Parts: sequence; structure tokens; C-alpha cells
Amino acid sequence: MQANFGNCTPKFPQHLERRPVGRYTAHTAEMATFSSDLIWEITRGNSATLVKRAQSGGVSFSRDQFNLRNKYSRKYEGLVADKAIGVQPGQEGGVVVLTKKTDKAHQPAAQIQTATIPAKRSTRKTYAGIINSTAGRNYRSDLRTDAVARASAIRKSQKPVKADKPAKVRGSKKAKQTEA
Amino acid sequence: MSRPTVTIISGSGEASKDTISVPNVFKAPIRPDIVHTVHTGMNKNRRQPYAVSEKAGHQTSAESWGTGRAVARIPRVSGGGTHRAGQAAFGNMCRSGRMFAPTKVWRKWHQKINLNQKRFATASAIAASSSAALLMARGHNVSTVPEVPLVVASTAFANGAIAKTSAAFALLQAVGAGADVEKVKKSKKLRAGKGKLRGRRHRQRRGPLVIYNPDEDGKELVTAFRNLPGVETSSVYSLNLLQLAPGGHLGRLIVWTSSAFSALDKVYGSTTEPSALKKDFLLPSAAMKQPDLSKIINSSDVQKVLRPVRGGAITKRTNVQKKNPLRNFQVQLRLNPYAAAFSKNKEGSKKVDGGKPVRVGSEYVEQIHEN
Repeated sequence: MQANFGNCTPKFPQHLERRPVGRYTAHTAEMATFSSDLIWEITRGNSATLVKRAQSGGVSFSRDQFNLRNKYSRKYEGLVADKAIGVQPGQEGGVVVLTKKTDKAHQPAAQIQTATIPAKRSTRKTYAGIINSTAGRNYRSDLRTDAVARASAIRKSQKPVKADKPAKVRGSKKAKQTEA
Repeated sequence: MSRPTVTIISGSGEASKDTISVPNVFKAPIRPDIVHTVHTGMNKNRRQPYAVSEKAGHQTSAESWGTGRAVARIPRVSGGGTHRAGQAAFGNMCRSGRMFAPTKVWRKWHQKINLNQKRFATASAIAASSSAALLMARGHNVSTVPEVPLVVASTAFANGAIAKTSAAFALLQAVGAGADVEKVKKSKKLRAGKGKLRGRRHRQRRGPLVIYNPDEDGKELVTAFRNLPGVETSSVYSLNLLQLAPGGHLGRLIVWTSSAFSALDKVYGSTTEPSALKKDFLLPSAAMKQPDLSKIINSSDVQKVLRPVRGGAITKRTNVQKKNPLRNFQVQLRLNPYAAAFSKNKEGSKKVDGGKPVRVGSEYVEQIHEN
């Protein structure tokens, strides 16, 4: 039997379509291709992006710029995925949205697409921009909320820190102050 | 299907029009388990036996003083006239004594590795070096590398063109591997522990591996590259797994010269044609042609034999926790649609109409008393 892997008919059962690993695979015929599943199995125990500590029950974090939650897992690790979204703080405020070009899997220098969303853009428009360029276009729709949440956290961190209110004077100190 | 190709990059870093078909070895299955075991074995076989001197701690004529002298019965150095006399000797607990279980050179240092497994591991490591993701996972800085596998035209090495380290570094920078060398340079740290005293003073990352063909590229480049931190060179005819997969981890950044790259088919052959240089060696073929799970699941072959999903977008969930309708209003509503109106009109806390009961009238009392 000849397997036909490329041509997918659109009658996906819903439970499969909702799988977090999703159908975001599009390979080039250029080189021998490596599936994300294979790369994940190779790198899940050992990777340059993996930050493993004994504390807190041995949490595994990720240094990957394409990891929206900094969590070392199959879904969030962008290094292994063909398609991935990265959201990073911009140089002059705002956010930088990174995506991976699937046809450039073998060309690391040309693989990353960056788009800068300036700080003057409202947060709502920022989120809409991220969604419209990625999840809204069938590009990792499973990462929609995570991308927005990360952008939101970045924008929040860029706000100037409010100075604390002076502490309210109480008791004997207050009495002294009123005397003077 | 035409065989996949890679672009040959010129020595100055421009992509040339020339392409080269990817050798069969790059289709070898990637088996981290085999690479890991073979690497462990090879790493062991590289060890130099060591041991303390046979005589160490025993070069004295110490004898025990026996009992009755209020000292331990350990052998003691005989004689007088020096501080050494009367001191305990030989025991592993003694100063200047022998160590516990003195190391011997006839420890079991080496282990046999099956040759075919070794070749499999090497082929697997070469194949893995063509995945940009695996290079990044190994920690290589490939952000400036135009393409993997990275093949540089052999003309850049012709006639000993790369004989100086400055030329070698310029070449690596031009082809996009300079960032990885810089990373190595910055990574040099003093080693923790006693290794510092034992010829392993510093530790640093590994940089790119330059693989050349000694017949065509000459050997001048070896001396040119050897002083670049982290950069290693290897002949395509004697590839070593310890260089191809350092630490047993797949994905070394390899800079191929074009002649070395095209020699790979001669060195490894294919899955059907035996290698010209390795006796009785056929490249292993992958057990699974399609390792992409989502592609398999979404293939029409699988999809057409699956039964359609029952129900619509909302399906009843089974095996869920039972909710208490008395506490959970939404669940109560499902059971008793009147509950909404009941609570809205505050029916539960309304007073019963009619007020106080009316006293029985006098006629009624009279009627009773009539009898």
C-alpha cells in the first residue's frame, strides 16, 4: 500500500484537530527532513535551552526564544517545532514577534521572521496584530492565548514603576507633627 | 523524486550556483541510543591506564611493636635518630602509608564495541549534523549559518590557501561559523577541582568541526585551524564519533569542504551498495519511513479508516464529578427550571398571606354549647 502523507483531506476528527501538537507540519522536499516528534525525542532529556534545577520538584524551564511560557515541553519548545511563535521585548519598548519559516528549516540564517510592534501601538492592537499574523492564519493557533499573555506581560513590565506613597504617620509621631 | 541538494558556499561566503547532491549517509536513521552507547565505549577506550607506584608506602622496614607498649599494633618504622622512627607505616590510615586498594594498571579500562555499531553511530551522527534544530539543541551558535549541511568550496583550500590561522578564521567568519568560534572563545573557564592539576586546567565549549579531504584539500589547513579555540579538523576518511557527537549528544556543527562532502558516498556507500572503503558495510535504513506522528495521523490512509466523530461540537462529558444541586445553582436550574423564578421573586422568604388567624366568633362557641 502506498501511503499518501502529503495530501490531507479536510475531514479531520475534531479530537485530533485539537491536539496540542496539531497539524503544523509543512516540510520542504529539499533535504532529508526531521520530524518535530523525532527531534523532541532526541532533545527532551538534553538540550542547550533546557534549564533543569533540583528545586521545586525538578522544574524544567527553557531558554528558547520561541518558547512562549519558558516551559520545556513538547508544545511550548519552539526549537523542535517547524512553526513556532516567539514574543520578546523590543529594543525601544513594544514587542518583537518572531516566527519560523517552514521552508527554511535548513537555513538557520534565514529561518526567523521578525516583526516589531512599537510601544506606541495600543496593547489591544498589539495583541490583535500578533493573532492576525500568526494564530489567526492557521499558524500555531494552539499558542494564541500564550502569545497574547506573553505580549501582555512584556507590555506591563515596560510601564514606568510608580513611586510608593509616603507612609501615613501615626501615633506619637503624628502628634508631634501636629504640634510643630 | 530527485535527490536533495545543498548549495556550495564559496570561500568568501557567497552562495554559488553550484549545488551538490546530499550523500546517502545523511539519510541514515538517527539513533541517539546507539550513539550514546558507542560514545561511552569509545570514551573509555581512549583512556590511558594509570596507577600509583607498586612500592608507594611500602619503602620502609616497619614492624609492629606488638602488645604491651601502650601503642596501637600497627607496623612502626624501626630505628632511631630521626622523627620518622617509631611512626606508624603501611596502613592506609597512616601518614606516608600506602593508599587504600592501590590503583593498578590492569584495571578493566577498555571495552569492546562492535564495528558495525560503531559505523552505524558515526553515520547517525553525520546525519544528525544536517538538522539545524539539533545543532541549536547542542548549543552551537548557528544564527549566521546560511545552510546546513555547511559545504564550502574546496577551491578555497586549494594550493594551501588556508595555511595561516588568520586566513582560517576569516574563512569561518565568511561562511557564517564565526559566531560559534566567538562563543567558544568567551566560554573558556577555569576547571573546578583537581583536574586543574592534571592537565585539564580549563574547560571550554566545542566549536565547528572542519572535515576535509586530504587528497584534494591538502593538510595545511590542519595547522591553520588548530589554534582556533574549539575548532577541530578531521579527515573525511577517518571520522571519529568523539568529534561528531561530543558527550554522546548529536548535532555537531560541521564545515565540510566540497571534496570531503562528495567523498562521503565513497566512504559510506548506500543502503544497497556496499561502501568502497569499509568492508561489508551497508548504510542502515530507517525502520520508520515517516517519523512525523501528526502527518501519519492526518494522512488520508489513516483518516479514511477512522469512524466519524459522534455528536456535535458539544458532547456530553462522562465520568465527571457529581455536583450538588443545593450548592450549585446552575445544576439546580437544570433539574428545576422554576428555581430561577423562585429565587428571583424571593418566594422562599415570603410571608404566608392571611396574617394572624381570626379568632373564632361568638356564634361558633354558642353553636357548640347548644347541646
